[in-house]
Amino acid sequence: MSNSMSRRRFLGTTAAVGAASMLPMSAQAAQGSVSVWKFGGTPQEVEQWALRNDAFLAANPDVDLKYSYFNGQIRRQKILAGFQTNRLADVIVAFGQDLPEFVGFGMLQPLDDIAGDKMDGWKERIVPEVLESGMHDGKLYGLPTYVDMASFLAINLDALEEAGFDRPPETWSELREYAKAMTKPDRPGIAFPVTTAPVDINIFEGLVYANGGRIFDEETGKVTLNEPGVVDALQFYLDLIADGSTPAPTSLTETFFRDTAQLFGQGRSAMWIGLSWLNTPWGVSEGVRWTGVPLPRPDTASGRFEPVSAIMDATAMLMVSSRSENPEAAAEYIDFWSQNEQLEIWGGQPEIARIPSGKAAWDNPELEEAWPNWVSAYNAGKLFEGAEPMPRFIGVSAIESALGTAIQQAVLGQKTAQEALDEANKAAQTQIDLIRG
Amino acid sequence: MLKSDRLLAYALILPVVAAVVAFVVGPTYNVATLSLTQVVMGQERGFGTLINFKTLAADPVFGLVLKNTAIWILGGTLMCVTVGLAVGTFLAVDSKLTGWLRALILLPWVLPDVVTAMAWKWMLHGQVGIVGQTLQSSGLTNETVSFLGDPDKVMWVLVVVLIWRKMPLVALILCAAIRSVPDDQMEAARIDGANAVERFRFVTLPNIAFSLTAVTVISMIWITAEFALPWIMTGGGPANASQIMSTYIYQQSFEFFNWGVASAMSVVNLVMLVSIVALYLYVNRRSWASEGSK
Repeated sequence: MSNSMSRRRFLGTTAAVGAASMLPMSAQAAQGSVSVWKFGGTPQEVEQWALRNDAFLAANPDVDLKYSYFNGQIRRQKILAGFQTNRLADVIVAFGQDLPEFVGFGMLQPLDDIAGDKMDGWKERIVPEVLESGMHDGKLYGLPTYVDMASFLAINLDALEEAGFDRPPETWSELREYAKAMTKPDRPGIAFPVTTAPVDINIFEGLVYANGGRIFDEETGKVTLNEPGVVDALQFYLDLIADGSTPAPTSLTETFFRDTAQLFGQGRSAMWIGLSWLNTPWGVSEGVRWTGVPLPRPDTASGRFEPVSAIMDATAMLMVSSRSENPEAAAEYIDFWSQNEQLEIWGGQPEIARIPSGKAAWDNPELEEAWPNWVSAYNAGKLFEGAEPMPRFIGVSAIESALGTAIQQAVLGQKTAQEALDEANKAAQTQIDLIRG
Repeated sequence: MLKSDRLLAYALILPVVAAVVAFVVGPTYNVATLSLTQVVMGQERGFGTLINFKTLAADPVFGLVLKNTAIWILGGTLMCVTVGLAVGTFLAVDSKLTGWLRALILLPWVLPDVVTAMAWKWMLHGQVGIVGQTLQSSGLTNETVSFLGDPDKVMWVLVVVLIWRKMPLVALILCAAIRSVPDDQMEAARIDGANAVERFRFVTLPNIAFSLTAVTVISMIWITAEFALPWIMTGGGPANASQIMSTYIYQQSFEFFNWGVASAMSVVNLVMLVSIVALYLYVNRRSWASEGSK
């Protein structure tokens, strides 16, 4: 698997941008100033976004586009500060997980109200399960351009064959067995990130949801961190450590997802647990053969909720500020990004790290070349089957923060999984009660 | 003073007073009132409540935050000033080497916070960091050392990085103060038979007491306000082992949107800092007064 950009890809990309700029847009009535804040993204995606903005301007010469890019980690404070000081951009490109809190603050306006005439086109062009991730309380607040899914497993194929296996593991107990067999004195069999970075927590949540656990029960308003679905998922992490299949616990707690990917890419761990993009944004060293598969499922799910195949979140979702003074132009900008020419950025050409939301992108041969299993599952209608959005509700950050601390305490051996999660549950419930009043 | 002169004087200081009111007094008042307000999702739900302070008192993490903050502020200030004094004393000696060092030592100070934090985070990483690898290859340790992943080490490692970053300016200020100690006093002490330690204790220290006090107070304020270094290097982890006031206030404000509690914590932080600085100034009031009146 490679993520380098070939000349063919480059030509294809520039041709697409050129073609997009020549295309007569369906509506060119938009005019005036529109500001856009985009948060996060892979280097490839960030570059492409700016390029396509030029195409938008070419098609909408009367629009004055003010585009700014920011690191994804500062999005909450930047957006919040912008809202409080009446300096929020018209269009925000941020994470789907933030949506309920932003709506709760009154920062966003429903797209149904300002772009009702465009929604049929969006439904036609975007995969329904993915478009659904932009909904909140029955209204569409965000247009997703792609999704990331949790959790997946990257496997070093040489290490797999060397250990005598001819297929990836399929259950948690198999994964323990594989990790043990693939461990060498200078190379752990498996690594997973355990810092407090949100992505590291999302990766763990993938295990929790697959095990029938949840972190919060919307119906009762109760935090559910200390229920069996979560506790057993954490115990699974601890079992891998106790088996001696991982780096030292103190190393896990200082190594976040990107570093874990890089260690795997250098052949310094035989497997790693991550989100759907695994190593694609950074690549691997020459000669390291690898593949990505969905993370094995628990032998028997122990949680009281429905186990899910994966959880997903759109981390480049276009939303319109409630204080936008030019909602027409903002809606036009969003509509531009719903066109196939734009959504194909994530169709394996040039970006292969994401799961595209555009239906047309799934026909792209380069996506099939990079992720054959995804494409066949999508064509069979099974890719999104049983998948749910990542946890998203008012107060999600408080619970995820408490969960992150509990995972670290258990991994470091300070507390058992149950003790750590009992304490986290109590702390998170206090925060939730406070935030929700 | 003529009345017109007095008016002119007031007019001249007016911009500064206005700036202080706008940027210091105003926000402080705002934070103080917010700490007494229940805030839910950005909406104020009643002023005149102590709920934010009660929440803080009941928060099990807050005790750990206070302990870590004490290590961070007191340990950081003490070590920063002690090391700064030692380095400043060395730099005060005239030689070609110290001439160069006086310029070079400022390098850590001029680097941006984010760059410093990222570089140290990478260098201290257990598996790929140069520090751990050097320790291992030189045979000093057999196992990987996780400086930032080990809850027993992390706070002290952060303090060491903090000293590396803040100490140079302290050293230079103290170096300048030491170099301004009157030669005749040093000469008289030497003639009276005082050895180097005695000359430092009874001549140099009293002469630089004013600078030492000022630099200690300033360091304490710098260190209290420092956020980027600990946040980027550890994010308060692992398991809150490096969670300090500034990082926890940030987390409460921008991750949990819990502005009332964050403001209450800021008030506690301010009271704590003012108390420590006041106590320090009170203890050192004599040296401050005598030096300041020169």
